[in-house]
Amino acid sequence: MFSRSLRVLGARANRRALSACYLRTRCLSTTLNSQAEPVTNHNVPVGESIPAQSSVMPIYLDAQATTPLDPRVLDAMMPYMTENYGNPHSRTHKYGWETEKAVDIAREQIANLIGAHPKEIIFTSGATESNNTSIKGVARFYKGKKNHIITSQTEHKCILDSCRVLQEEGFEVTYLPVNKGGIIDLNELKAAIRPTTALVSIMAVNNEIGVIQDLKEIGKICHENRVFFHTDGAQAAGKIPLNVNDMNIDLMSISGHKLYGPKGVGALYVRRRPRVRLEPIITGGGQERGIRSGTVPSSLVVGMGAAAALSARELDYDYQHISKLSRRLVDGIQSRVSHVVRNGDPNHIYPGCVNLSFSFVEGESLLMALKNVALSSGSACTSASLEPSYVLRALGAEDDMAHSSIRFGLGRFTTESEVDYVVDNVQAHVNRLRDMSPLWEMHQEGIDIKSIQWSQH
Amino acid sequence: MSAVFTRSAALIRPQLQRLRSPHSPFSPASLLAVFGVQSLRLPCASSRLSHHRQTAAAAAFTTSAIRAKNVTVTFIEPDGNEVKATGEEGTNLMELAHENDVDLEGACEGACACSTCHVILPDSIYDSLPEPSDEENDMLDLAFGLTDTSRLGCQVLLSPEMEGMRIKLPSATRNFYVDGAKPSHH
Repeated sequence: MFSRSLRVLGARANRRALSACYLRTRCLSTTLNSQAEPVTNHNVPVGESIPAQSSVMPIYLDAQATTPLDPRVLDAMMPYMTENYGNPHSRTHKYGWETEKAVDIAREQIANLIGAHPKEIIFTSGATESNNTSIKGVARFYKGKKNHIITSQTEHKCILDSCRVLQEEGFEVTYLPVNKGGIIDLNELKAAIRPTTALVSIMAVNNEIGVIQDLKEIGKICHENRVFFHTDGAQAAGKIPLNVNDMNIDLMSISGHKLYGPKGVGALYVRRRPRVRLEPIITGGGQERGIRSGTVPSSLVVGMGAAAALSARELDYDYQHISKLSRRLVDGIQSRVSHVVRNGDPNHIYPGCVNLSFSFVEGESLLMALKNVALSSGSACTSASLEPSYVLRALGAEDDMAHSSIRFGLGRFTTESEVDYVVDNVQAHVNRLRDMSPLWEMHQEGIDIKSIQWSQH
Repeated sequence: MSAVFTRSAALIRPQLQRLRSPHSPFSPASLLAVFGVQSLRLPCASSRLSHHRQTAAAAAFTTSAIRAKNVTVTFIEPDGNEVKATGEEGTNLMELAHENDVDLEGACEGACACSTCHVILPDSIYDSLPEPSDEENDMLDLAFGLTDTSRLGCQVLLSPEMEGMRIKLPSATRNFYVDGAKPSHH
């Protein structure tokens, strides 16, 4: 199986390619030998698409949706899925003690990633639950005295929806607008804070456009005004350096499967000094400091801890690797294809999230054309609806540009040859689609698209 | 014990446990306690026992106990019943509640290891008290019906500023007495 993989990627296969290939083709080892399919040379753009029944998987460039499980994380998790199956809250026997010890180690690993104390980490089922708990929990606890929440227009849907639910309960919510680059205006934030503000929630790294907000400044403003600062760190933890004390963060949500860890687990950082109180949304036996009752999923938590430890150790290396690939991708596409706009302020952006709008080409059709590449248009959470991305709308992008955006997500296991393949294919398909596009034709003739009065059907 | 001794027994019982004195209720230390000579209590439970052994005997020789003021507060039980309680300055709220048969449980007897003596104080008094310690805050996190002016009763000592304070009790504790059962007095 390995020799076949090496042939696929050519002699330049490096260790990362090997592990990436191992991840993609390890499940195919039983089928490859029996079916003897033609091997695809990824260095040459394919003319025909691979048929849907084929077991070859596309190139994965959707790191913001989820990330593959790092094999080292799986190694850490395995004992807790096989032999050490005790409930970590069983205090009376060795099964419980050993599992509890492992959970405590994982807690410390995640705390070290963000500069927190292990007692401040609560395990949840994911960043969505962490976001729900922090926003609804803090708001409802301080309901008597404080009834205002501030967030931004580009937050993740779980935060915006939690705020909407609180509005129904009688809270007031301010949705801060963002500038064209996706960054909130700190003066607007200062002006929006009232004596009755309970919480400010601004995400660290945006999942659609990859923009990084100025957490240190926001934290300082919140601290001065004695308002709690919550940040959705799902896309940021393990990718950019975070320190909850330097940045005055009171609550932070972390997602396991964005960190090369397992799905179904996340963490919530809740500051102990000064103490942040919140009303739990899942109550029961009082586990996890009473904030999240329920048996802690020891195997998932151990996996998340291992993933956090690996990310903390390899943060700089991964950042450099991904920056290099990102520059290669963006420069490659922008040099070969015209009328490409990168969404998001390039000076405050996480390189692993590249959101490009291709004028005169519809994003969905480009996605379908790039069949051998797993991409996303907008965010995974909106992929089922027809609504154009509200994040891009908040940036001031016109509807047509919002519809034509594609998000490329680069990760730890992405290789240079994959990026080169994608650049070649994007060039080929964008040009092909533009040839078919009447808007492109009109643009070539010099007609200003915006001046056209479209007739309504 | 007969009714005659009930009142004194109620006074002796908490002291007995703290002093870990022999079973006889007539040891010198507890006799002194019965006559209202009480020593000042310290917030930290671990040093209370040794302190009491020394000061209970010496209390007869100090005048501090006589000078200590009595403070009257009102406990508001979950069903609306109000109980006026008078205690010496320095008594913690949990003990005061026990002495006055208020429906407040203290499962760990003041060791800051549970949340059953959870009380809700008025804003002004809460703000004037020193910040709760991390240990108290950790236990408060587990309390049912927590508010932002909640404290553990065993960690709050009576002071003259609390004269007339109205202390609200939460509707339930972490113990699941959903069938209406009440915890027995220890």
